[in-house]
Amino acid sequence: MSTAMSSQGREKDLVAAFVRMADTLIADFDVIELLHGLCDDCVTLLGVDAAGLLLTDQRGSLQVVSASTEAAHLVELFQLQAEQGPCLDCFATTAPVHAGDLGTESRWPLFTDRARQEGYAAVHALPMRLRGQTIGALNLFHRRPTAMQEQELRVGQALADVATIAILAERSTRERELLTEQLQGALNSRVIIEQAKGMLAERARIGMDEAFARLRRHARDTGTRLADVARGLTEATLDATPLLEPPGR
Amino acid sequence: MIDRGGLSQALATAVAVGGSAAALAVCRAVVSWVPMTGAAITLMSGPDGQEPVCATDAGAARIDELQFDLGDGPCVESFTTGRAVLVSDITDGADARWPVFAAAAAATGARGMFVFPLSVGAARLGVLDCYRDTPGSLDDDELAAALAAVDAAVWTLLEHGAASTLDGDRAGSDWFNGSPLARAEVHQATGMLSVQAGLRPGAALARLRAGAFATGRPIAEMAADVVSRRLRLDSDGAWHSTTAPPMTSTYDTGRPGDEEPGDEEKRS
Repeated sequence: MSTAMSSQGREKDLVAAFVRMADTLIADFDVIELLHGLCDDCVTLLGVDAAGLLLTDQRGSLQVVSASTEAAHLVELFQLQAEQGPCLDCFATTAPVHAGDLGTESRWPLFTDRARQEGYAAVHALPMRLRGQTIGALNLFHRRPTAMQEQELRVGQALADVATIAILAERSTRERELLTEQLQGALNSRVIIEQAKGMLAERARIGMDEAFARLRRHARDTGTRLADVARGLTEATLDATPLLEPPGR
Repeated sequence: MIDRGGLSQALATAVAVGGSAAALAVCRAVVSWVPMTGAAITLMSGPDGQEPVCATDAGAARIDELQFDLGDGPCVESFTTGRAVLVSDITDGADARWPVFAAAAAATGARGMFVFPLSVGAARLGVLDCYRDTPGSLDDDELAAALAAVDAAVWTLLEHGAASTLDGDRAGSDWFNGSPLARAEVHQATGMLSVQAGLRPGAALARLRAGAFATGRPIAEMAADVVSRRLRLDSDGAWHSTTAPPMTSTYDTGRPGDEEPGDEEKRS
């Protein structure tokens, strides 16, 4: 939990996270990788047990684009909120949604049941918004009933804001068109990553989590964008040998 | 406001028709409901490999033809980048992305051009190219309607990669159940099948879709079986049911030998 972290250590981590994101934003960055980093940062900085990010597919539904762990049950839980749950409410109202104790929650029976089955006791959702556009929501899960502190919520919202700016980074008179192009591009990258996970899982006989971890590690080790590694694998233009080996061997 | 119910019905009917008639029906739905002046679908295998499937009018056909002759323009860009390319006014000189194409396109009377990749991740099938004879962006409603048509077009075009033509009623049934391609398992299964059967992602997805129809199951359910390794596809195109083998913790990189003789079940 965050309270266990010394405030000095936490401040240092916070600075490091924002510096890293700023560095990413001025370079030729990969949106999906940035969003995954954001979910990881939420776990580290906010003491949450899991974080996920959903974006509008502009068809009236939400899609999971990143999560702090790719465990299938967790991704399912995030995706379920395309139909019902705190993320959908957050997206619809453009306001934070708090459920500090799922044991007494009645707004989303289906979601609450599933979340509790998976061992989560509290969930918070923060909107991703900029200049009147709402593009998605950041979802934070706790294993114990938790009312997030004002300061943690502000940090969470700041992280979500940076991610929103990243997605809307290309600014011009074509902003409207670019938003659609960026959003649809990010969702398609996510699909390519799922396909690449499947390919790698099959070739290396590993699970989807491990496949994702290897893709991501390979992207970092080679200074390549995650989406490009995934695309290279699906198009057979990437030497997959390093990915087939277990790490550290 | 666009009548989304009417559009959904028109798209579902189009999908149920199947074959290349379905593609034209999707384009007609776009023109009627979004609305657009014209729409066309082109199958593409690369910047130079294209096959016009249908167009609602001569203008849409001409716009497609021009781009492929020139090897440039929003369609080519949309296909190569996998992103939508939305141009509120092709005659606006400030948008200098495709000067040669823009000059030629202006002669067709087109102003707004909206091109959407027909892609499912790495499975890139082609583009849906819509135009209007008036300038201006798509509003949220029009965009959502166009994207619904894109989903229908993708679903329809997957048939081109399948081994057999699908029976129309069945082809439509998954479509009525919501977004069949919105599930992560479908994409993971596509990746796994492409390795198992040595197929490109588009063909692997088409096989998954065809397999689901042949057995009357939702594509997501079939995909879940593939991901949990209860179902495999051979390079000869046959589906095999297997008892889920344990995942190796020794990171065996070889091909698995998990089918027992006699444990297989022809599914298609």
